[in-house]
Amino acid sequence: MNNILVLFTGELERMKKYHVLGASLVVSLIWIGVLYFTEISDVSNIFPLLLYIDATSMSMLMIGVTMFFEKQEGTIKTLLVSPISKAEYIVAKALANIVSNIVTLFVLYLYAWFFKEIDINLIGIFLAIVIVAFFHSLIGFMLTYYSKDFTDLLMGMMKYAFVMMVPVILETFGLISNNFIQKLLYAVPTKASMLLLQASAGGIEAWEIYLSIAYLVIGSTLLYVIVSRKFDEFAAKESGV
Amino acid sequence: MFKVQDLQFKYPKNKENTIKGISFEIKEGEIFGLLGPSGVGKSTTQKVLIKLLDQYSGEVTYKEQNLKSYGKDFYQEVGVGFEMPVHFSKLTAEENLTFFKKLYKSNADTDELLMRVGLYEDRNKQVSEFSKGMKGRLNFVRALLNNPKMLFLDEPTNGLDPKNARIIKDMIKEFKGNGGTVLLTTHLMNDVDELCDRVAFMVDGKISEIDTPKNLKLKHGQKQVEIEYLENTGNNETKKAFFDLEELGMNEQFLELIRTKEIVTIHSKETNLDDIFIKVTGVEKNE
Repeated sequence: MNNILVLFTGELERMKKYHVLGASLVVSLIWIGVLYFTEISDVSNIFPLLLYIDATSMSMLMIGVTMFFEKQEGTIKTLLVSPISKAEYIVAKALANIVSNIVTLFVLYLYAWFFKEIDINLIGIFLAIVIVAFFHSLIGFMLTYYSKDFTDLLMGMMKYAFVMMVPVILETFGLISNNFIQKLLYAVPTKASMLLLQASAGGIEAWEIYLSIAYLVIGSTLLYVIVSRKFDEFAAKESGV
Repeated sequence: MFKVQDLQFKYPKNKENTIKGISFEIKEGEIFGLLGPSGVGKSTTQKVLIKLLDQYSGEVTYKEQNLKSYGKDFYQEVGVGFEMPVHFSKLTAEENLTFFKKLYKSNADTDELLMRVGLYEDRNKQVSEFSKGMKGRLNFVRALLNNPKMLFLDEPTNGLDPKNARIIKDMIKEFKGNGGTVLLTTHLMNDVDELCDRVAFMVDGKISEIDTPKNLKLKHGQKQVEIEYLENTGNNETKKAFFDLEELGMNEQFLELIRTKEIVTIHSKETNLDDIFIKVTGVEKNE
């Protein structure tokens, strides 16, 4: 069997056994709760916002959690001396992560479809989640490389959330009106992520969509190269034969 | 199998080299012991040989080909047995092995291996329920699941009771008997004595001794025989006498003593690997 497929299915199995998928579903239920308690019946505009939080923060967290389990249990050592490449390891982990985000998408979409009104481009938001989740999975790798322990990882995520995610949410809610800051936000990957997800509900300029796709695709490529290079250092540190 | 020529390695944050120009060869079909106190570079040497570190100088060849030229397929014929547990604790032993088996082209009969190490009945238990010894035995099975030609073993009998340690040692001998090559790292000198064809002692990033256990014992031992006997006096006092092994049968003093005295014990003064370890590595001074 192809190594990526083996690693990917193994990753999903472990996410289930270690209750990581269960935790992800609980988060989905929280988002359903948010949709339930919102008074607006058409949730098309709030829907991308919930998926934005999920595809960014949950992606980073899931990578961190699974890698810390591997470090803690020493399984990373035995994976490093298996006939797999670092590319296969990184891609399989990111793909499993994306699956979790896609599950959240469909759980939320089904709820909105049956109990609320929703009008979004499902294929568009599906592709947006793939791109956003992949980019943030790679961020998750970087944070894990530089975190001594799980608390350190959470601190890194908090910093990312405050600097990158919160300003974009505030702008989306109209709480940031300063023109310079609004323009400055185009420089952060979370703005590109938000625009791409919002595009599925309409109202986003074409140039903003193209810019966001280009940003995240080029960003992912560059980030992948860095993650891949840094993996050797990480491997040497974790191997401890 | 492996040839190491003037290997040197420095960790980026260190000021001096961890490995300071070592050369040795691991011959095909032998069990080679890499010994020494903690922190002398054994693990780093192993990491180089299993391709986890590649920023080294010197030359390392595997099957007469530069080690750096091998890709991930190198691991198809290599098995690594770690000292510490390396399994997913929430998966069963069977699930762990099944996952790893799928990554290899060649698979051993893991049911048979589990039976040999006494884990077959527990194969459907989560690894988190395993004792330390059971995890160690599962590590050993993991190392063998791809029918490797080269096996790296780090303290394979650590934490095992004598019965299970015997099983593992027998399996290592069988592996060798079937043409396999082993690099063994252990602090248990009895295991080294029983298993290793040759051993290398490492001290401060260098190899200070490399030879067969027998030759090392001859080199570092005393060629003497120690006799403990009873003096025929009223209080039956025990006395000791030492004689050179050379031409012992012609030594009149020795012959007179064994003819006329009551012998309590008689021992040749060859040394053991524990003593050689202490002597060669200076471990008592350093640790």
